[in-house]
Amino acid sequence: MDSSTKRQILISPVTRIEGHAKITLQLDENGNVDGAFFHVNEFRGFEKFCEGRMYTEMPIITPRICGICPISHSIASVKACEMIQGITPTHTGNQLRRLIQLGQALSSHALSFFHLSSPDFLLGYDSDPSKRNILGLADKYPDIALRGIRLRKFGQEISERVTGKKIHIAGIAPGGMAFPLTEHNRKALLAWIHEATETVQIGIGIIKKFHEENEAMVKSFATSPTLYMGTVGPDGEMELYDGKLRFVDVDGTILQDQLDPARYLEFIAERSVSWSYLKYPYYKPYGFDKGFYRVGPLARLNIASKMKTPKAQKEFEIFKAIGNGKPVHGTFYFHYARLIEALGCVEEAERILHDHEITSENIQAHGRWNYAEGIGCTEAPRGTLFHHYKTDDTGKLINVNLLIATGQNNPSMNRSVLEVAKQYVKGNDIQEGMLNRVESTIRCYDPCLSCSTHAVGAMPMVVEVKDADGNIVKRIERN
Amino acid sequence: MPKISVTIDDKKLDVDVGKTILEVCKENGIEILTMCHLKGLTDVGACRLCLVEIEGVNKLLSACTTKIAANMIIRTKTEKIKRYQRITSELFFAERNHVCSVCVANGKCDLQKLGYKTEMNHIRYPYLFPECNVDTSHPWYVLDHNRCIMCTRCVRACGEVEGAHNWNVMNRGYQVRIISDFDTPWGESVTCTSCGKCVHACPTGAIWPKAIVQGQLEKKPEIIGELVEKRKMNL
Repeated sequence: MDSSTKRQILISPVTRIEGHAKITLQLDENGNVDGAFFHVNEFRGFEKFCEGRMYTEMPIITPRICGICPISHSIASVKACEMIQGITPTHTGNQLRRLIQLGQALSSHALSFFHLSSPDFLLGYDSDPSKRNILGLADKYPDIALRGIRLRKFGQEISERVTGKKIHIAGIAPGGMAFPLTEHNRKALLAWIHEATETVQIGIGIIKKFHEENEAMVKSFATSPTLYMGTVGPDGEMELYDGKLRFVDVDGTILQDQLDPARYLEFIAERSVSWSYLKYPYYKPYGFDKGFYRVGPLARLNIASKMKTPKAQKEFEIFKAIGNGKPVHGTFYFHYARLIEALGCVEEAERILHDHEITSENIQAHGRWNYAEGIGCTEAPRGTLFHHYKTDDTGKLINVNLLIATGQNNPSMNRSVLEVAKQYVKGNDIQEGMLNRVESTIRCYDPCLSCSTHAVGAMPMVVEVKDADGNIVKRIERN
Repeated sequence: MPKISVTIDDKKLDVDVGKTILEVCKENGIEILTMCHLKGLTDVGACRLCLVEIEGVNKLLSACTTKIAANMIIRTKTEKIKRYQRITSELFFAERNHVCSVCVANGKCDLQKLGYKTEMNHIRYPYLFPECNVDTSHPWYVLDHNRCIMCTRCVRACGEVEGAHNWNVMNRGYQVRIISDFDTPWGESVTCTSCGKCVHACPTGAIWPKAIVQGQLEKKPEIIGELVEKRKMNL
């Protein structure tokens, strides 16, 4: 290709996601998309500055990585601490943690679907960008917007009533929890179940209707097959809190099953790339080129044999039928998978709240430093999360490795962007709605890039088409 | 005991001779901010929070180290005192690395409470961000220099009440540090009895038990004073 005719499209910032990112699309001399780069251009450094701290502080420090999935960080972290101490949490402590994990998944999925993504489905991809957000939704569909907001509130209220804080919880301790759940709070949470179930079902109705009306687009939207990884229970049931790892290939064949998460380094490797602060993890036995795997709601449903609760199981069967029993590769189905999980979360939360030991005061087992290394793993809303700590013989951290869900989806996100861009971007003729489709590919993965910032509404977006010498040949602005 | 007359915040009081202004104020329900003071320990006037104005004296004096005298006219809550207390409070936070959100003492910390009491809504001084060590060498306790405000309550509790003299002070100015023995890791101390009095005496999250996490910290600084009182009774 003659480099002088190469063009670049830059989408910056990517909006309605959690964090800061930009997309560059490389065009060839005919104006066709040749390459796509999803850049994460923020840097945090948690792994480095946690070195030197006491390992027991990590369940409180690491949740500050994120305002959307802090509980998952706390849980992965506390599990690593328990491995260092060599202890097992009490039944009630475990159940309370499971409950807050479900609450967080519910809150995060509500945010992803109702606040960030549903404006695309209900108002349209090509609608006015200044109104294509939760406020525009509240204007046109006030009941749905309110329900979405309340569903998120329910998830956060679970955290508040179990730990005393909505976002960055306190009291999660090696061996269990520091505070018991009161009977008053148990009953208050149970009172939400009916409304939450209804809201998730309304969401499922919205996405199913969108699937029906846009069948061609949904079925062709970033459908490249990948491997999948996630956590399952002993019978292969979908698991969000604690379990073993399972990898499946593009046809759904189980590659690894009931893997102890502590062995993750035997199966996952990471590689850095020059254009992003986000690393490229891959399935080690298949190598960097063929080892792309996805995590998160779509992956969890693709790897699971069944759900744990009846309503979610019913939807799960419909979902499985889409792929005729094989993995569903269409990136658009992330939304549906997310809502099926949310339904399972509400049902499981109800089940836990009826556990007769849930208000017990036997909430914490006690231990002390025994081993120099600990690995904790759990399912964050966006996928499998690993915390890996190494300590000196006094418990001071000497090495920290955090493998985050969004990082594991990074290679696939990049490829999905390329696919969608190839489908919708043709040369210099750039339409705003088309850019939103490229962005929405990223949004399907609900990436959490830092996070604690998420834009509501249309952030100013500038798209520039540059030639190889950096000259701007076309520029459009959104405000 | 002979009595003398003093005036504190426009209130005339007959008080015992030989007491400090802080003691008199506490006995009469007059609140004074303190940090380095702890009942049972010798007062050193280190934190400069209990400053009072005394008529006829052209500088502020610390209530914990100033003996009350006949006919003193004392003011404890003037605008000047409040301003100085807020400055002191800000300097505590600016000097080392206090991050309340991830601190084990969050919600149970005297320094945090001081910030609220002095209505500190921001810090006007540049943070020093010193590089501070976290000493995890003791089997049960941690000393985090990032959170130390040099009140020296641990030094005095260890020396005066436990009698072990494990803790001491090294260097001057912003390089000042609490040290164990002759600046050896706490876990290697030959004098520490692991009694835990320093843990209770510490007003922040600088000294804390390894076994607990945020939300579980329960310090009982009052036990230091109670121990001293009980010993007097035994004598």
